[in-house]
Amino acid sequence: MTVNSTHAMEAEAQFKIAQRAGGGGGGGQHLGSNKSLEVAGKEIADAADDETTVLLANKNFHFDTASELDEAFVELNGISAEEAMAASAEEPDNHTDQQHNPVTWLNDYEIDTLDLATLDIGNMFNRVDSQDIIYQQKKKNLKMVGKYVMGDVLGEGSYGKVKEAMDSENLCRLAVKILTKRKLRRIPNGEQNVTREIHLLKQLKHQNVVSLIDVLYNNEKQKMYLVMEYCVGGLQEMLDYAPNKKMPLFQAHGYFKQLVDGLEYLHGCRVIHKDIKPGNLLLTLDQTLKISDFGVAEQLDLFAPDDTCTTGQGSPAFQPPEIANGHETFSGYKVDIWSTGVTLYNLVTGLYPFEGDNIFRLLENIGRSQWVAPDWLFELDANFANLVLGMLQADPNKRLSLQQIRKDHWFISAPEVTGPPIPIPPLKGDEIRRSTVLPYLEAYHYGNEQEQEDVYFTEHDVNQQLAQRAAAAAAEIRAQQAAAAASALEPSTSAAAAALANGNREETASKKKGSSLKRRAKKLTSCISVRKLSHCRTS
Amino acid sequence: MPLFGKAQKTPAELVKSLKEAINALETGGDRKVEKAQEDVSKNLVSIKNMLYGTSDSEPPADYVVAQLSQELYNSNLLLLLIQNLHRIDFEGKKHVALIFNNVLRRQIGTRSPTVEYICTKPEILFTLMGGYEDAHPEIALNSGTMLRECARYEALAKIMLHSEEFFKFFRYVEVSTFDIASDAFSTFKELLTRHKLLCAEFLEANYDKFFTQHYQRLLNSDNYVTRRQSLKLLGELLLDRHNFTVMTRYISEPENLKLMMNMLKEKSRNIQFEAFHVFKVFVANPNKPKPILDILLRNQTKLVDFLTNFHTDRSEDEQFNDEKAYLIKQIKELKPLPEA
Repeated sequence: MTVNSTHAMEAEAQFKIAQRAGGGGGGGQHLGSNKSLEVAGKEIADAADDETTVLLANKNFHFDTASELDEAFVELNGISAEEAMAASAEEPDNHTDQQHNPVTWLNDYEIDTLDLATLDIGNMFNRVDSQDIIYQQKKKNLKMVGKYVMGDVLGEGSYGKVKEAMDSENLCRLAVKILTKRKLRRIPNGEQNVTREIHLLKQLKHQNVVSLIDVLYNNEKQKMYLVMEYCVGGLQEMLDYAPNKKMPLFQAHGYFKQLVDGLEYLHGCRVIHKDIKPGNLLLTLDQTLKISDFGVAEQLDLFAPDDTCTTGQGSPAFQPPEIANGHETFSGYKVDIWSTGVTLYNLVTGLYPFEGDNIFRLLENIGRSQWVAPDWLFELDANFANLVLGMLQADPNKRLSLQQIRKDHWFISAPEVTGPPIPIPPLKGDEIRRSTVLPYLEAYHYGNEQEQEDVYFTEHDVNQQLAQRAAAAAAEIRAQQAAAAASALEPSTSAAAAALANGNREETASKKKGSSLKRRAKKLTSCISVRKLSHCRTS
Repeated sequence: MPLFGKAQKTPAELVKSLKEAINALETGGDRKVEKAQEDVSKNLVSIKNMLYGTSDSEPPADYVVAQLSQELYNSNLLLLLIQNLHRIDFEGKKHVALIFNNVLRRQIGTRSPTVEYICTKPEILFTLMGGYEDAHPEIALNSGTMLRECARYEALAKIMLHSEEFFKFFRYVEVSTFDIASDAFSTFKELLTRHKLLCAEFLEANYDKFFTQHYQRLLNSDNYVTRRQSLKLLGELLLDRHNFTVMTRYISEPENLKLMMNMLKEKSRNIQFEAFHVFKVFVANPNKPKPILDILLRNQTKLVDFLTNFHTDRSEDEQFNDEKAYLIKQIKELKPLPEA
């Protein structure tokens, strides 16, 4: 039996992809279903790695407690029971959508799986209500790659996943970038870029450059594991998480200084990064900035007379005019200066110096004219505006050098601490970033007594849990209202009822807000997959 | 102001009494010295607490720090403290370093007032550098932390690099006490690598004196650690793009090539390996001057044999193996220059 009822899921997932593509994080790799079927089995097995696995779509599942559920929602939403029933009958996904179902998120990996599943049965469509799906809590199966114990997924890119890991010999916390041959092939120059990145990273050793600790290959699985030092995420994620997508000046100043240090080292090693942007600047737990992603970097020849480059394949919004205008040759170091300038401007303002509806417009705008710093930027901090302006000079010869930046007023001065810095986004709700490897080790060593229970659950269970929570919240509010009404001078029943209704409405509104917030947070990490059970056959 | 106990001294009073105590320490007789010693320690603790705060007091107010720094400049106390560092007790020495480094880091907008002050009193730096002398080994490490803090500022690093005293480092890095030699070497390295442009200019301007007269000695040192460290630093200096001009000059001198070839044959594998990283630059040079080419040609077959068997057990180090293969190929293909 196959699952094909995930329209809502798919739509969401596609939305997610669209978003990622918009963020410039290497989108456009979503090739949908045009893949060979042989990999299906492997993918499905891989999918089991994820948070929750949908085991099967169970047509024979009974819902005798649905009415309780609906009652709870009626209280919450303030709509009639009939309406709620009707709504739930029509759109079974509705409740879960509103109530941030923790298990509805797919990544493109799983979409591929879905597509394949669809292909598998040809035109046999087989609609399954989401309520019929049985979920399985992910089992914490200890997995080791070489001497490294694997933990949860930290993030995902076009090339594959990044998982947390721990060195079983020295207990160091690490991050492992998992690259699959198949995904690499989809990216233009993918394999070549990875080889170059490994080659470069092996030579580089600096506090502000991410260090590559180990490289492992698994030929059977066609996978490559890059073991790196543990980072909590990139500046881009931080910006995405922050309101207005920007950070205070003093915080940006701290990162910028480290970026300049790292860049000076790279340039000293004749390495031109060519893709400096917030997404490629990672942070460690102690707020040390690490320049990463050397996929498009170039190392000059030891005897090259100057830093002339001929190719640039970084992110469009961060490209300097000389690349936007397609010059044959240009100064490599100055490319990095420009991108650093755009990055700095972006960190502080949340904006880009040049924008455009599409890549061509964008490049046209970049190449057309000298950037003019807006007046409000000078009002914000004149020294800062001057520095950005100096780094965003259209003429590479007029653009500041790293040495000049080091002598810049704003660079030297320490901006006043104006408030709390924007935080590093929590990983699955964990703000202090506890190790995700430990639970695996615990499960492995101390058995799984508690785990035996509640391993399987259905959408119904999820809904019921939510309903219970909602009911509890509603009851609490009612109690509060009652208390308020009792303390009022004239406790008329109608006023109390009105207050109750009001309170409920407010509660609903805040609930909705909360759920949408949580959903955004969830989206980063949680995902589910749909899995076939081998003994189930399509009807 | 605390309700009980003595009223806290103002910065001016503290500095004054510390200065008096130091003077007493410098000149006084046995009994006086004991008393002075005590006063110095007490005052140093008070000043340190004023700058850093203590666990149960508030962090210091800006104006207190400003006042204190001003007093320190006016009274010339920083120099006095450093000159008498060996007379201060063990804890006191550490406090001097803490106070010095804190005041040094002080910043007002884009200005660093202490850095500006030391620029006008370079004897502070030279006294600190003298801390590595054998006379008072007990102050070497404390002087070292202060020196490295100074080296972070380009203006101060420039004064040190361009002074005659700098060349004394070539002696300091070889002193017999291992921890002092290591500390001196890290300061030496910091001065030569921290501020890229400054260092490049310095090395270019003082090429002969630096490399030919002094650095050569380190590379030929009897001390294994010195030899190995200095060879490693040489590799780093030459391969840093900022020192491109220096590198081109270095690899065109046959004396240097001979030295590296000898070091390739050293007993220590680590030195062999470091030497390889310098040697490769000579071979990779696309415009080898005639004397260099001649040496390589004369040793062509020997070098190919040698490199083929060189560190064959480093099989995982892909980069090393690539480079080695490249060098062997380059040497095999060497041809004498056509007669002009």
